[in-house]
Amino acid sequence: MRAGVADVNAVEVRALSYRYADGTKALRAVSLVVAEGERVGLVGPNGAGKSTLLLHLNGLLPERPSASPSVCVLGVPVAEPNLREIRARVGLLFQDPDDQLFCPTVWEDVAFGPQQLGVRGAALEERVARSLGQVGLAGFGERLPQHLSRGEKRRVCLAGLLACEARVLALDEPTSDLDPRGRRELKALLQALPVAQIIATHDLELVVETCARVVVLDRGAVVVEGPPTEVLADEARMLDLGLEKPHILRHRHPH
Amino acid sequence: MHIPDGFLDAHTAVAAGLLSAAGLGVALRRVRRVLPARRIPLIGLAAAFVFAAQMLNFPVAGGTSGHLIGAVLAAVLLGASASVLVMSSVIILQCFLFADGGLTALGANLFNMALVAPVVGYGVYRFVRRLAGGGLRSTLLATGFAAWCSTVAAAVACAGELAASGTVVWRVAFPAMAGVHIIIGLGEALITVLVVAAVARARPELLHEPAPSDGWRRYASVAAYGLLLALGLVVFVAPVASPWPDGLLRVAERLGFAPRAVGPLVRAPFAHYAVPGLGAGARSTALAGAVGAVVAFALAWVAARLLTPRGARRAAEKAVPGA
Amino acid sequence: MHDRLLSPYHPGGSRMHRMPAGLKAGGAAALVVAVVLLPRDAWAGYAACAAFLALVAALARIPGRVLARRILLLEPFVLGVAALSLAQQGGGRVFLAMLAKSTLCLCTMVLLSGTTRFSDLLRVLWRLRVPALLVTSLALMYRYLSVLMDEAARMTRARRSRTFSAGRGLAWRGSATVAAQLFVRSSERAERVYAAMCARGWRT
Repeated sequence: MRAGVADVNAVEVRALSYRYADGTKALRAVSLVVAEGERVGLVGPNGAGKSTLLLHLNGLLPERPSASPSVCVLGVPVAEPNLREIRARVGLLFQDPDDQLFCPTVWEDVAFGPQQLGVRGAALEERVARSLGQVGLAGFGERLPQHLSRGEKRRVCLAGLLACEARVLALDEPTSDLDPRGRRELKALLQALPVAQIIATHDLELVVETCARVVVLDRGAVVVEGPPTEVLADEARMLDLGLEKPHILRHRHPH
Repeated sequence: MHIPDGFLDAHTAVAAGLLSAAGLGVALRRVRRVLPARRIPLIGLAAAFVFAAQMLNFPVAGGTSGHLIGAVLAAVLLGASASVLVMSSVIILQCFLFADGGLTALGANLFNMALVAPVVGYGVYRFVRRLAGGGLRSTLLATGFAAWCSTVAAAVACAGELAASGTVVWRVAFPAMAGVHIIIGLGEALITVLVVAAVARARPELLHEPAPSDGWRRYASVAAYGLLLALGLVVFVAPVASPWPDGLLRVAERLGFAPRAVGPLVRAPFAHYAVPGLGAGARSTALAGAVGAVVAFALAWVAARLLTPRGARRAAEKAVPGA
Repeated sequence: MHDRLLSPYHPGGSRMHRMPAGLKAGGAAALVVAVVLLPRDAWAGYAACAAFLALVAALARIPGRVLARRILLLEPFVLGVAALSLAQQGGGRVFLAMLAKSTLCLCTMVLLSGTTRFSDLLRVLWRLRVPALLVTSLALMYRYLSVLMDEAARMTRARRSRTFSAGRGLAWRGSATVAAQLFVRSSERAERVYAAMCARGWRT
C-alpha cells in the first residue's frame, strides 16, 4: 500500500488525545498514517470522535495549540506558526455544505481560499475555472448557493478546497443526505482526484468502493484498521461497534 | 415605518444621513473593538435572523397579524452597537433589494430604526434592569418595556422627519405615528419578551452580558450615541414640536445673548405653529403615550412573572397560586 | 421556496444587465435624487423621468407584468404614508406630488434590483471603501437569508402539525419559540461559518 521509500506521509497522527471542555475524552491516543495519494476511510458510531479527529488535521482544534503537536501534514507539524501553510494544504470538507459555502456567489466562494493566499487577477480566474471544471461545475460561477442542490453545494465546497491546491482532503460525511445520483457523482469525483483523502463517513459502501484502508474508531480510540473487505466483513465485530456489515460485502459479487 | 422616497426634503434627508452615518461609524468602531473574532459572522447571521423573524406571524384579529421589528431583541441578545449594525444591515438590504424604504430616505430610516430604536431600547433596558435587580424576571421586564419605548421613540423620530420636511404637519404626524406605535409597541414588547424568554430557557448564555468596562472608551460610545440622538431631537423634533426654541430664545434675549432673529435649524414651515403644536392633538397623544408607557410596563411585568420558571423566582412569602 | 420573495433579480442578457453594477447603481441614485429635488409641481419633469424609466425597462427586457407586480406590491405603503399629507391645507397637491415622486423612485429601485445582482452591488460597496465589517455582514445576511427562512418555515410547519387548538396565545408562544430556536441555530451556525472561514485561511 505504501509506495516508495523516504516518502513523506500525507498525514501522520501520533497518539493524539483530546478532551472536551466538560472533561469528556473525545480522542484517546489515536495514531494514524495516510500515505500520499491514499484514500482512507474513517468509520465509527456517532460520537466516536471522527469529526473531532478531522478538525485536528488543519489546526482548528485544539483551541490552544500545544507545544508538541501530535499531527503532521506533509512533514509539517500542525502548530501555530505553520497554520497558514497547513490550511492551504489540508482541505476540510464540512458536514453541512451551507456552513462552508458562505459567499454570495459560487465564484466568490471558490475564489475565497486562493484570495486569502494572495492569488489575484488572471491567476485567480484560472484557478477558479479549473477547480469548477474538476468538480464538473464549469460555468456555475454566477450561480447563487441558495439555488443549488445539496450535491452541487458539496461539489462547490470541494472546488473551493481544490482551488487552494490542497494535497490532503479531509471529508466529513461527504455523501450524507445526497440523493443516489448525487452520491454517484461525488463518488466518481473522489475516485478521480489523485490527492490523499480521509473520509469520515457512515456510508460503509462508499468505504468499500473507494478506500484502500479503513480505520474504525470507537469512543475516541482506534479499534481496528485494515482493508475494508476484511475489517468490515467481520459482522460480529461490526454489530458490536454499533455499525454493520455493508450490503456490498454480504452478497459476494465478483468486483 | 419605512419612509419611501419623495417624502423628505433635501435638508432633512441629508441631516438624517449624516447622523446615521456617524452612528454607524460609532457602532462599527465599538463592535470591532469589543467583539471577539469568532463572533464576527454572527452579525451577518443575526441580521438574517432578524429579517426572518420579521416574517413570523403573530396573529392579532381577523386576518391581521403583528410582526416584530427586532431592534431591542437584537440589542438584548448582542448588545447595543451590534444591534445597530444588525438593524442597519436589514434596512439597507430592504432598501436595495425590496425597495422597502426609499434610497434618499435611507438615512432617515437608518436613524429611526437602526439608531434611535436600538440605542433608546438598550438604554431603557439597562436602566430598568438595574433598578429591578438582577435575574431573569427583571431582564424580561426590562426587555418588554424597552421594546415598547424603542418603538415609540422611532415613531416620534419618523414623525419629526416628516414634519420637518413639510410633508405632514406635526399636529397630524405626531398623533398618527406615535399614536399607532403606542399600540404597536405593546405587540413588540410582548413578542420580544416571549422570544427572549424562550432563548433564556434554551441557552441562557446567549443573552448579551455587557463587556467589562474598558474605561473611557465605553463612555465615549455612550456619549457619542447620546449626542447623535440629541442632535436628532434638536433637528427633527424640537423645531416643530415644542416651544423650547422659543423659550430658550426668550431667555437668551433677556440675558442679552441671542441675536434678535434666529431661524429654526431646519426649514420647518409650520414652526410658528409650535404653540398649536402643543394643542389638543399633541397633548392628547402625549397623554396616550404616558398611559401606553404604564400599560407597557405592566404588560412586561406580568409577562416576566409568567415566563420565569418557578424555580428561578425568589421564595415568596405568600403562597404562589398553583399553575 | 422563497425565491420570488428573495430574488428580485430577473435574469437576462440584455444590455442593461450587462452594464457595470456601479454605473447602474450610480445612475439610479442620481435619478432618485433628481426626482426628489424636483419642485413639487414639476409635472413635466415627472413625465420625462417616467419616459426615461420606460425606456430603461424596455432595454432591460423585463416583462411588464413582472415589474407591475413588484410595484403594486410596494405601492400600498406609499399610499398609506402619503395619505397623511392630505390632512393639511393644499394637501391634495402635496399628496399627488408625493405619490408621483415615490412611484418614480420605486420604479427606479425595482429596475435596479431587477437588473443587478446583489453580490455585484456588494462589490461596488467594497470598492467604495465601505467598512469591511458592514459589507461582510451584508454578504452573510444575504447568503443565509433563505437558509434561515427555510428553517423557520420547517419549524413552523412542525409546530403547526402538533398544535390541536387554534388559540392565539398558543400561536404567539409557538412563533416565539420558533424565533428563539432560529436564533440559537443561527448562533451555532455562525461559529461553524467562522471555523469554515478560518479553515480556508481567513485572518481578521
